[in-house]
Amino acid sequence: MAMYEVSGGRLDVISEEAEHQDSPTTTMDHHTVAPEGRGRGVSLQRFSVDTNESLRFEPYQGSTPSPTGADDGLDEDDDDVFKEGETQRAIHSTRHQLQEKVAEMENFAGHLEEIFLTVEENFGRQEQHLEQHYNDVLQTLSQRYDERAAALEEEKKNKLEALYQQLLACGRALDASKELIESAQEIYRCQDKRLFLKGVMATIKRIEEFSKEEPDLTLSTSLEFNTSPADLSDVKTMMDSINVVPAPSAPVINPQIPNSASQTSLRVCWSLFSDDTVEYYELYYGPVLEDTPAEGNSSPQVSKVKVKETHITVTELQPNAQYELWVTATNTTGISPASEKALYMTVPSPPVVKHRECSSCPEAAMIRWESGNTNPVDSYTVELSEIGTDGTEGAVTESVVGVPTCHCLIQLQSGRRYVIAVRAVNVGGPSDRSDVITVKTTGTFFHLLEDTAHPCLSISEDGFTIFYGDEELPISAMASDDNTFTRCVAVLGDLIPVRCRHYWEVEVDDGTEFRIGVAYADTERNSYLGANTSSWCMRHILSPSRHKYEFLHNGWSPDLRITVNPVRIGVALDYERETLSFFNVDLQQHLHTFYCHFQSYVHPCFSMDNPGVLTVHNGIQASEYVFM
Amino acid sequence: MALTQVSSNKCAGGLQKVYEHESTELMCKMKFAIFLPSKAETNKLPVLYWLSGLTCTEQNFITKAGSQLSAEEHGIIIVAPDTSPRGCNIEGEDESWDFGTGAGFYVDATQDPWKTNYRMYSYITNELPKLINANFSANPDKMSISGHSMGGHGALICAMKNPGKYKSVSAFAPICNPMQCPWGQKAFAGYLGSDRSTWEAYDATVLAGSYTGPQLDILIDQGRDDQFLSASQLLPDNLISVCSEKNIAVVFRLQPGYDHSYFFIYSFFNDHMKHHAKYLNI
Repeated sequence: MAMYEVSGGRLDVISEEAEHQDSPTTTMDHHTVAPEGRGRGVSLQRFSVDTNESLRFEPYQGSTPSPTGADDGLDEDDDDVFKEGETQRAIHSTRHQLQEKVAEMENFAGHLEEIFLTVEENFGRQEQHLEQHYNDVLQTLSQRYDERAAALEEEKKNKLEALYQQLLACGRALDASKELIESAQEIYRCQDKRLFLKGVMATIKRIEEFSKEEPDLTLSTSLEFNTSPADLSDVKTMMDSINVVPAPSAPVINPQIPNSASQTSLRVCWSLFSDDTVEYYELYYGPVLEDTPAEGNSSPQVSKVKVKETHITVTELQPNAQYELWVTATNTTGISPASEKALYMTVPSPPVVKHRECSSCPEAAMIRWESGNTNPVDSYTVELSEIGTDGTEGAVTESVVGVPTCHCLIQLQSGRRYVIAVRAVNVGGPSDRSDVITVKTTGTFFHLLEDTAHPCLSISEDGFTIFYGDEELPISAMASDDNTFTRCVAVLGDLIPVRCRHYWEVEVDDGTEFRIGVAYADTERNSYLGANTSSWCMRHILSPSRHKYEFLHNGWSPDLRITVNPVRIGVALDYERETLSFFNVDLQQHLHTFYCHFQSYVHPCFSMDNPGVLTVHNGIQASEYVFM
Repeated sequence: MALTQVSSNKCAGGLQKVYEHESTELMCKMKFAIFLPSKAETNKLPVLYWLSGLTCTEQNFITKAGSQLSAEEHGIIIVAPDTSPRGCNIEGEDESWDFGTGAGFYVDATQDPWKTNYRMYSYITNELPKLINANFSANPDKMSISGHSMGGHGALICAMKNPGKYKSVSAFAPICNPMQCPWGQKAFAGYLGSDRSTWEAYDATVLAGSYTGPQLDILIDQGRDDQFLSASQLLPDNLISVCSEKNIAVVFRLQPGYDHSYFFIYSFFNDHMKHHAKYLNI
């Protein structure tokens, strides 16, 4: 469309020029038409045709009573072209974009308004502040002026007084000398020589005396006022202080924001008081040692980092550790007091799933893991996602949060595949995901409890084949812990503690004497499987004449004969019906069912009465006949 | 093949009925009992044929074995025929309890005067199933067979002589090796003649030795205090040793304290029903 318009525009120019050259009359017409032609592309094309053969333009003009009307009509056609050309979607997206822009602008305007208000407010406050300050200064100055004026007045008064006294003294001296002169002249004019002589001596004496008196003609007071230089330093500081920023107050450090930490880093935020001006901050942090060493001297190492912003991510920290952090703010004037000390925590290291200790059944999975952290964590989160039929891992469909222990029993849907992972959680947030474990809920899956295995048993690397070698073991090898079978050459399986239906299979050869079944976890280790009330088992005995099978519980077995020796035995445990059934898998033949009253959860048990091999098959979907 | 209903009683949610019909195979009127679970009203159900022992009629099983509850539970029709032709006016038919009336031994007799009527094998394996499939809501592809004593022998030979016809087989205290026991010898000699080679066709132990066909899964219960066991009428060991040799799957359970009666059958019938249901209902 844009291209079309551009080319149309160029055409427009050409055509207009052409028209100018060709016929002034049509040009005039053209000009009357063109401004109304909104659909320029089409109308211009027409013009260009017209200009090539201007004669055609005339009939067109003539045939149309109103050029504007004709043009309007064409405009509508043009709009149709638009509608066809432009998809509804484009309009929508444009409108959408415009709406977004409008929203953005409104948002921006809102921000501006806010800023404007803040600026105005700040300005008002500053103005008030300044006025106050200047008033203070003026007041100080006028006070100073009054003080100085009063002092000068006093000095002037003193000086005038002194001068007046001196003037008086001078007057008196003058009078005295005038009188002396008059008396001398009188004597001089006196005709009576005797009289003259009598009086002259005294007068001469007086004149001599008088002349001895030197009148003090110096001014008793200086003409200069004794003005001490005005000390305006305080005013100066006041004036200066108008422009000087105060040192900032202590920043406020924020508490830790959830999910802001990683295993080795912490994101720290703090805030300042709005009146403060800060050039930079300094963040101090150090680990909180929970068990302070007895020496006590080795104080935790405190690190410092200088930041301009009010946040920073500190790195290279220890996982699952608590840190103490505080902040100071500094500007040209000085440094603030330290903020309060905040405690932040790095997230833990991911746990480590113990694959060999995980078990599952069609209804649930038992996941066990190691913490992965030396310090305790708050809890664990178990996340599971289902694997689709196409093998893709879906989003996390379910999380079990707040698991306090290092194991969790998770309810699952049967016949699915799940990927399960664990996170350790502390106040800092969740750790990274542990390695994942894939759980199939198509059957019951368990590992052997190798710590229960009789010393004569060895277990294959994959954990499912049990060997009973015929070599004699030294007595020392028999020393074992409490959990080990000491008499019966047996091992237990770690069956998930879920009261549902469980099924597994055991592969033997018909030359192996075996006992397979279930037993309580605490079944007597120095007794034979099936010989007590805590175990139920199928026993195969090789007699010289035939194969004998027993289904033993508490030392008793029903009397039965099996004609085809089973070499793959299905064991079906149904907690609901309280049954334990055995099958010859190859023939789908039911061999025996125990009706039991399980007091607690049981574990699969496997033992051999003569050297041989026995393989456990696990995670198998039980055939329909097994639990019918 | 007109059926006449003799009785009908609601039982265990279903209906326990008895019918009479004119048997073409046996040339006489025959009665059979049939239990129809409630599901039979809407579904075609599998059928378990129950063969009773010496002296029994169609009544013993339905009144004494307590089979109806588990048959209703598993949705399986149980058909219990009579044990022999009746009222054929054959000389000597009522002389003894272990031969003639009530003792058809599930063979097709070849000897006079029995050969016209005493064709219980064909009746059980052929005429009766056709009759049942035609008249009741039965799934013709799902049938199993079981029986007691002489009927246990019948069930075993029917299954072994017709590989694949019966989905499963079980027996209570069956006569396992009739050629070697007094009952069997008397009956076979009477119905089949003195040529013992012809007996072999009706002897489970012999048939097991030559069985070929789909894998069998045979459940046998035997009372340990069964007087006929100690009288060597039943001889399960012979069958077991042949089956062990021939890899025919048998679970043989010797039940301590139980005798040969229907009290014994009653005690373990549920296990047998389950055994058959495993093959009939999957």
